[in-house]
Amino acid sequence: MEIEVKMPDLSTTGGELTVLKWLIAVGGSVKRGDVLFEVETDKATMDVESAHAGVLKKQLVEPNATVLPGDAIAIIEVSQVRPAMAAVAASVPPVEANRQTTSQPSESVSGVNPNTLAASSPAPPRAGMFAENRAKRAENATTTRSQNEQRAAAPRMLPAEISHDQLAAYNPSFLLELYTRMVRIREFEEGVKYLFLQGSMPGTIHQCQGQEATAVGVCAALRDDDFITSTFRGHGHALAKGLSMDEILLELYGAASGCCKGKGGSMHVGNYDKGMIPAIAIVGGGIPLAAGMALAFKMQKRDQVVACFFGDGATSEGAFHEGLTLAAIWDLPAIFVCENNLYGASTRVNQVTRLNDLADHANSYGITGRTVFGNDVLAVYEATKNAVDQCRSGRGPVLLELLTYRRTGHSRRDACNYQADVEKQAWFDRDPIRLLGDALTKHCDVDATQLKEIRDEIVAQFEVAVERARSAPLPSEDDLITDVFA
Amino acid sequence: MSTMNMIQAVRSALDVMLERDPDVCVFGEDAGYFGGVFRATQGLQQKYGSRRVFDTPLAEGGIIGVAIGMGMNGLRPVPEIQFSDYMYPAFDQITNELAKLRYRSAGEWTAPLTIRTPSGGGIRGGLFHSQSPEAYYTHTPGLCVVMPSNPHDAKGLLISSIESDDPVIFFEPKRLYRGSFDGDPESVPPWRDQPEAEVPEEHYRTPLGQAHIVRPGDELTVIAWGTMVHVARAAIQEAAIDAELIDLCTLLPLDLATITASVEKTGRCVVVHEAPRTCGFGAEVVALIQEHCFWNMESPVLRVTGWDTPFPCGQEWDYLPNRERIAGAMRAVLAA
Repeated sequence: MEIEVKMPDLSTTGGELTVLKWLIAVGGSVKRGDVLFEVETDKATMDVESAHAGVLKKQLVEPNATVLPGDAIAIIEVSQVRPAMAAVAASVPPVEANRQTTSQPSESVSGVNPNTLAASSPAPPRAGMFAENRAKRAENATTTRSQNEQRAAAPRMLPAEISHDQLAAYNPSFLLELYTRMVRIREFEEGVKYLFLQGSMPGTIHQCQGQEATAVGVCAALRDDDFITSTFRGHGHALAKGLSMDEILLELYGAASGCCKGKGGSMHVGNYDKGMIPAIAIVGGGIPLAAGMALAFKMQKRDQVVACFFGDGATSEGAFHEGLTLAAIWDLPAIFVCENNLYGASTRVNQVTRLNDLADHANSYGITGRTVFGNDVLAVYEATKNAVDQCRSGRGPVLLELLTYRRTGHSRRDACNYQADVEKQAWFDRDPIRLLGDALTKHCDVDATQLKEIRDEIVAQFEVAVERARSAPLPSEDDLITDVFA
Repeated sequence: MSTMNMIQAVRSALDVMLERDPDVCVFGEDAGYFGGVFRATQGLQQKYGSRRVFDTPLAEGGIIGVAIGMGMNGLRPVPEIQFSDYMYPAFDQITNELAKLRYRSAGEWTAPLTIRTPSGGGIRGGLFHSQSPEAYYTHTPGLCVVMPSNPHDAKGLLISSIESDDPVIFFEPKRLYRGSFDGDPESVPPWRDQPEAEVPEEHYRTPLGQAHIVRPGDELTVIAWGTMVHVARAAIQEAAIDAELIDLCTLLPLDLATITASVEKTGRCVVVHEAPRTCGFGAEVVALIQEHCFWNMESPVLRVTGWDTPFPCGQEWDYLPNRERIAGAMRAVLAA
């Protein structure tokens, strides 16, 4: 069947876009994820990926034509259709789900399009890793600028695999569960990405592909009644803490049955019963709040802990200093989880701090700080588990810096052309799902088919959830004024 | 003269001022290398160097505090706060340090900075990326508060703001960056088809403190600012009412003369804004109208505003004043 490709809403403010050039010729075959065309938005030149696999039948606009979001751009003859995607693209009856292995999102550098990378790279890759010990931290804190510069010039290397020794400590079913949770986040985010590209998903979206191990590793070490706070990049945290794909998708579509009744949208997902307060879309805004939750736990003599997620950029905010100070002086059961993906939007972390390890901030509050390789879900789990134990025994708080990398732009409308080639490659080689998947097939009795089945099942669940979310009733006009006061 | 959308007009104003005045500097989160998340500063770092156009950490209180210090020492900083919702972490610096600096130093010190910030809804930004917080700042003596509604005014007002020796909060309605807005969520009428998009390349000023009459009329006065100017204009056209539409442009200092002249003529008035109703700036406008025009009034003044709720994500279009609500208020005012 033929599917009409529509221009996604890549302009932040809904304005016009210019199709610069086509990267697939008429008659050419297209895989899901292939770059179809290049577009000039109000922000940048961006590549637009195809949500479908098939043959490009028609290009409906000439290069340099100006179009609006939602305008028809191309027609693709698809042989195998993802039902949810098809329903979005055209009012045709969905056909049976059938996935192609070739359309899987690549987890290797071969999937990287060099066109998306800027010619000038902002900075060399940082690979600060595995904080050593307390003594070293004290030394770091007093390190002079020149020493810091030397350290940045000689980055430590990140491991490119999870070893047998690491795996041996765990039950295989637990490892598969971690894998499943990470794949759920990846497939959810990839699915949402394509819904956005097809104009079905409103608003902007901040995604976490590449950061799955931080969310999953941290939440796996928490109890169900422990809490997390999250950020505008919160889908992964929500899924890892046990929210369903359904309730998050419903919220993304603004449905009355969404986890925040449609009032929050992508940047505010949460669910009290699952231990996640609605995500906080102001950078650093959740840090003092997490300290307050932890203080309440302590005052009420409950043994719960709170894990507070934030990014590297938040460490510059005043709220970071205030929140950690309070948590430290009162020994609060709070784990401050800094997901250092090396960029605050477009700005690289080394441009906004002189520290090599953001965990060194812990020194100024007199608390435990650790830097951990955040793409190794087991390392994250271990570090969090230790932090949880420390907090539950009254010796909190803990600052964890998890080194990770975002595989996508800051938001869906960010072309992400500030990440350097060499840096992307190093990190894509250390993709969290790939690291654990490789280790499972190499060291455990797991074969690739089993991993594929996990993924296929999640994709099928996602597509059902999309169907449900798209047809779910929206809130009524009366709902607009509910929940403002008690 | 060339055709510019609002973001290009803002960029052009920054470009002109960076060129003319070596004391002007532009900075903020992603404002340097990246050119700003809405592209207002695109290309400026390349042109003027990273000493004058630069990135900052995510630290709004720090950004404004630093800008105040720079301004006190002879520079003319133009910091960008990425969304007006992110100004709250800098609220102390703005309302205590910045606004009261001249007063508390008996005129000895000033900080002539212009804080640029995208504001308002209409892009499905949700609760923390859609707010219209202008009333917090109009309630703070010592600050000028400006909100243009089109490219020509945006450039002229921004230049006047940067040249002003008073601190200015310059709200840029983000829904208008790439096109105007007639109240139809699906429609973004391109600026190039509209006369206000004719923007001189060179330096010019649009005076602060001067409201614009967008459309003259005799039956009633409609007062709006920012995005709502366009929704009100569409509502007036659709309802075929001979309303006089006033775009305030500058909320503080307020152009009271233009308001009173119009309301004394028409005797009827509707005030439209995006922010919540209670203690919105519309309340101040209505109070001033009753103080100054009471004996000329034919009917009570009505407000059409956002609801007294947080800005909702999924119900954005129920929240924002639309053509129907504005037309309803106009008819009610005429019928009274």
